Amino acid sequence: MRRWIVVLALLPLLMGGCGDRSLILTVDILSFLDPADVSQAYGPIPGGLSGVTVDVASEEVSLLQGIEDVTEVSSATLDIAASFDNTTGTASASFRIYITSADSSDVFSSTPIADIPVSLTPGAITNVSTQVSSDALAEALVQDKAKIGVRITFDTTASGIVPVQGTETITVLRATVITKKDL
Amino acid sequence: MIRMGWLLLAAAIAGLLPGAADAQMLNARRLGMGGVATSDNGASRSANIAFRAVPKGEGYGSIPLPLGLLQLAGDTPEFDPDDPDFNIFEILDLVSNPPLTYSLSKPDEVSGDISIFVGRDSLLVDLDDVRRVIPEESMRQGGVYHLFGIGFGIKNFFVQLQPIVHVRNEFDLDPNLRAALRDAEPFVSNTRYGLVDDGVAQAAVAFQAGIALRAYRAPAAGAGEDVDGVGEEDGDPPDPKALDPRRNRETSLYLGAAPKYLLGLAYGQVDGAGGVTTGDTLFGSSDPVAFDMVARTRYAAVGEAGGMGHGYGADVGAVLFWNNFELGVGINDVGSEISWDTTVKQHVYSDSLNEFGTTLLAVDEDFTSRIPATTTINVAKRMGPTTIAADLVDNELSTGVHVGAETWVGKFALRGGFYRDSNGRWQVAGGTGVRFGGIGLDLAVASHGRYVEETRQTELSASLTLY
Repeated sequence: MRRWIVVLALLPLLMGGCGDRSLILTVDILSFLDPADVSQAYGPIPGGLSGVTVDVASEEVSLLQGIEDVTEVSSATLDIAASFDNTTGTASASFRIYITSADSSDVFSSTPIADIPVSLTPGAITNVSTQVSSDALAEALVQDKAKIGVRITFDTTASGIVPVQGTETITVLRATVITKKDL
Repeated sequence: MIRMGWLLLAAAIAGLLPGAADAQMLNARRLGMGGVATSDNGASRSANIAFRAVPKGEGYGSIPLPLGLLQLAGDTPEFDPDDPDFNIFEILDLVSNPPLTYSLSKPDEVSGDISIFVGRDSLLVDLDDVRRVIPEESMRQGGVYHLFGIGFGIKNFFVQLQPIVHVRNEFDLDPNLRAALRDAEPFVSNTRYGLVDDGVAQAAVAFQAGIALRAYRAPAAGAGEDVDGVGEEDGDPPDPKALDPRRNRETSLYLGAAPKYLLGLAYGQVDGAGGVTTGDTLFGSSDPVAFDMVARTRYAAVGEAGGMGHGYGADVGAVLFWNNFELGVGINDVGSEISWDTTVKQHVYSDSLNEFGTTLLAVDEDFTSRIPATTTINVAKRMGPTTIAADLVDNELSTGVHVGAETWVGKFALRGGFYRDSNGRWQVAGGTGVRFGGIGLDLAVASHGRYVEETRQTELSASLTLY
């Protein structure tokens, strides 16, 4: 990955000076995750609990080194989509995405980039999607490496005695960083 | 690594320059005739050394009027890279098409966003508008430039001192890299993406002594009569056309030859290739990209190791006139070679050390460089006020063809022509002129493809002609 900088850093240089133009970097973060983390079973989580945390993924991924050096970030967005195939139980959940630079000690100690509420009902598939943007996301994605964390927090108090279980699948995790040349 | 990046960038930029770019033609009379060379066009004099001996015809001198400078003054590109309006392609266009003629049209500005899509095993680069300047084929540029010389002549003999610069560069992307950059095809694993560059530059001063003379002449029947019908017996001055072999129907042969001693000032050659080879996974956790780059350089220069070069060459030419028909053959730099004591080095990039290593291969190695010959064959036919002409110019990089015509209606001239440029594309030209006694004003409009974007654009050229 490291050496792609030489090739890819040429691109903003080459566009060099194409006036007030942008370099649009799209990173399919999902493709960097371990397939086992992309689709993962949860539960059974006993009913009547709140604040049950399931860490779905925590990985360090390589991005494009050098982008930060030659460009100035204008905006960064993260498209997220996930599917919850809930087999039993009822719960409200928070689907949280964490992205920080690789030098942070614990990705889950940072503020989540996205916090998506999910309502889970028995025998139902719930699809959620959103797009978020933040300065923290931009800062992390122009580094050469970043840490990605996916955590789901369940509140099963509405489920009674029925345990909550199912399968969560991340379907989209795509970052788009728009930069201007900064030569 | 950063240096390497700049090297790649420089190579890439070099490759963006237009191939074998045609020089601007500042003589509007000649440009209006499609740039054709004739013996009575002062701008063509260097094409055939025998032209020196041919009596001056009409329009022996030209003073260019650089209208493009006025245009540049009113529309100066932004040179500050920090300015949002800065566009490097405007600067490159300015280099490839100097602002001497007036640009009637310009290519659309190279702009647009660049998009990069990255996944663990996918990479796609969409340069958008910048794709237009990624060369479709191998790009060759350069030429032999005989710069302004100084000298003098006595009768048929002359001596002159003239700087010569020869530059040739060939840059090419391999099909994989071209497809990835020009066609936005995705990069794939286990594939090499490479480029090659082969360049030569040399400079010398030519000390030249030569002769240009009329070797044969057979007057036409009825010679001595006024061509214009207004004879000396009427008290008029001698008709200059009666002495002009282009128009007096005589048969004559003019020859020229000028050997030259070449004092080499500097020589440099680089032959390099580089690339990246992807691994099994484009963006894995390890380092999946292998770099390779090797360049071989050879050089000698005044004040440096090797010092000056020494060599010889010659220019030769002939022009035949028959029944107002002209056939000329001129060859410049026949057998021109320069011997040098060169230093040869090889530079290899070490992927493991992430740095270049240089090996000295030879010092003071004998090497003979060649200044490639340029051959100009021209034909012309004069019929009263009308001239029809064509030429073929063959040099190291290309073979150009120019065809043009001129006719005078009183004091006004109408001209038209076309030519095949060094990139093999046909261009058209036309123009007009008006003559006031010994001076004339000429204008020409012509298409050309000198811009980096290689699109066909039009220019207006203006010059004064001395008659």
